[in-house]
Amino acid sequence: MSRTLNELEASKLLSRHGIPMTESMLCRDRAQLPEIAGSLGFPVVMKILSADILHKTEAGCVRLSIRSLADMETAYDEILANAAKNAPAARIEGVIIQRMQAEGLQVIFGVNRDSQFGPVVVFGIGGIYVELLKAVSMRLLPITRADALEMIEETPLAMIFQGARGKRYDREEVVAVLLGLSGLLGEHPEIREIDINPFILYEQNGAKSCGVDAIVVMDESNVPLSFST
Amino acid sequence: MKLNDLNALFDPDGIAVIGASNNPLKAGSVIIQNMVRGPMADRLYPVTTSEPTIAGLRAYKLLSEIPHRVELVVLIMPSSAIYSVMDDLDKRMAEQGDIQVIVCAAADYSETKTEEGVRRQARLMQAKERYGIRVVGPNCIGVINDQNGVNTTFVNAGVPENRLGPQSGISFVSQSGSLAATILMTGASKPLGIRYNKFISIGNMADVDFIDLLEYLENDSTTKVIGMYLEGFPNARKLIETMGRIAKRKPILVLKVGRSNRGSAAASSHTGSLAGADAVYDAAFRQYGIIRVNSIGELLDSLTAFDRMPDLRGTNTFLLTQAGGPGIFCTDEMSRYSVFSIPLVSPETKALLRSVIPPMSSVCEPEGYADITAAATVCQHCDALQTVLSDDAVDMVLFITVIPPFLPVEELGTALVNMYQGLKKRYQKPVFFCIMAGDYVLPCRRLLEKAGLCTFDSPLEGVAAAKNLAYYDRLQRRKEAE
Repeated sequence: MSRTLNELEASKLLSRHGIPMTESMLCRDRAQLPEIAGSLGFPVVMKILSADILHKTEAGCVRLSIRSLADMETAYDEILANAAKNAPAARIEGVIIQRMQAEGLQVIFGVNRDSQFGPVVVFGIGGIYVELLKAVSMRLLPITRADALEMIEETPLAMIFQGARGKRYDREEVVAVLLGLSGLLGEHPEIREIDINPFILYEQNGAKSCGVDAIVVMDESNVPLSFST
Repeated sequence: MKLNDLNALFDPDGIAVIGASNNPLKAGSVIIQNMVRGPMADRLYPVTTSEPTIAGLRAYKLLSEIPHRVELVVLIMPSSAIYSVMDDLDKRMAEQGDIQVIVCAAADYSETKTEEGVRRQARLMQAKERYGIRVVGPNCIGVINDQNGVNTTFVNAGVPENRLGPQSGISFVSQSGSLAATILMTGASKPLGIRYNKFISIGNMADVDFIDLLEYLENDSTTKVIGMYLEGFPNARKLIETMGRIAKRKPILVLKVGRSNRGSAAASSHTGSLAGADAVYDAAFRQYGIIRVNSIGELLDSLTAFDRMPDLRGTNTFLLTQAGGPGIFCTDEMSRYSVFSIPLVSPETKALLRSVIPPMSSVCEPEGYADITAAATVCQHCDALQTVLSDDAVDMVLFITVIPPFLPVEELGTALVNMYQGLKKRYQKPVFFCIMAGDYVLPCRRLLEKAGLCTFDSPLEGVAAAKNLAYYDRLQRRKEAE
């Protein structure tokens, strides 16, 4: 059996291993909203935190592009009301509030366990056509820095990192994530799957690149990781 | 039970062939014929109940009757006889205890997935459980050791001795018997037939598997390069790690089939669905410095190039062609691989090149490329190649000629060999001789190959081998830098 970490747990686990993730805060009480707004700024994204609600958008439990405290409070009430109405049996842990990321270059990172080779890491261009295009490269874990650089070279992203269209992205940010995933799997072999999609790269001297959404699945037979939220 | 090592597989003191035959249509005849004229003949013992002699050798009715040391037993009799053969083997082990390895060439064991097939294989494997005897097969074509005349295969390549090349450093392990036979016979059909140093078909892998054999070849001093035909392996991670370790010392080229099974591995996540079985193998090969080839032709050409050519000092590749069309074809082919780099030869080299080739030739437009034209004489072919090889910026040369009717085929071959052999050692760099024009140019190719040089049917084949050498060279440098 396996256990899927909730979004906040996944994000914290990845962040602690050198993989930058969008800043997320958990709100369990409406009264916390002004403080969270002060800390994150605007715009923000809000969504329900519940392992029992898989399709959050369909359940009316996601709100994007929130630009004021008043809108935050409205969204908070609506999300909880929709959760109660559309998923009455779900255990609700709170509402996550994330800084909304600007547009950038979307890439994906993944870890999967191959039945013959064990853990493999995948990196490539993000977006909905990623599977069709197979614009990804793969390595068995663990990897070295040279492996990480070769992975980048094997994808069409290599051309983008060379400065196509005058855009300057830093390949070291990708190397850091790949090595971070390698280290994470070394420490936690019970991880069965990681999917960071999208991870947004920004141009050099711009915003810090970071992952927006992440799924982490662990083997349940192992002792679960403990997290301080 | 302590298991025997594989020394007796490749260097046995005494070989018994159970199921030997005088009928040339039977495998039990071909195996004997493959060894009876070689150095193993005086330690070769046919076993059969039907004839007193096989190919002039005394035949024994039972394994236990052979009054000499027997370390290797080849089983080619019908598999239904396995029970009585193994009972007799038990008797011999009780009395002599000399058998180290069994090659079970016959089929109709576990691979049939029938109850009887499984039972036969279980009886065979008692030899391992009771005595530590190693078992190759069943369902394989056996082994060759070209160093000492061991040849338990029932493949008759039918190539006259004078068409075979010298002994090589190429060893090969195949999971498929028929692919193994194809690789043996296709290799024998090259302009100068390939002689494999060690050749093993592993069949069902009931005992001896890829890892055992690769580790043997890793430490085998006469094996310089290893080829593999691979379908799949239960412990893929261990196989890849073994291959990766060996590849740091000896190149490994693998023909891995099953590409279209990409989707077969059940994948649970978005990114996971990209990790089909073949894609993971492909990634693992890259990561561990193992060279994946795409065809039997590329496999044989590349194995030969690794065996014969001196180590590369870099990947600067000069393209010297005698004809425009093939030169462009070759340039396109080379452009597919980022591993090639372009040499910038010195102004002195360019001037010298212009002075030794026909006036309408083109030199270094673009850089790293010269077309000596169809007007080039034998002497101009040689002078141009010598000039290019003597420039320190050049690490290897793709040399293309379509020998026109007014150029003597054999004379060109002899002149190129003499020129190359007259070079100082440091200028005897890898040259990929693409001699295009089918069977007509074979005499030229044979002369070059007899001198230890490598020839190719066309630029396609030459570039494929060259990129594999360049790729291995780059990997070695990367590993050193780490």
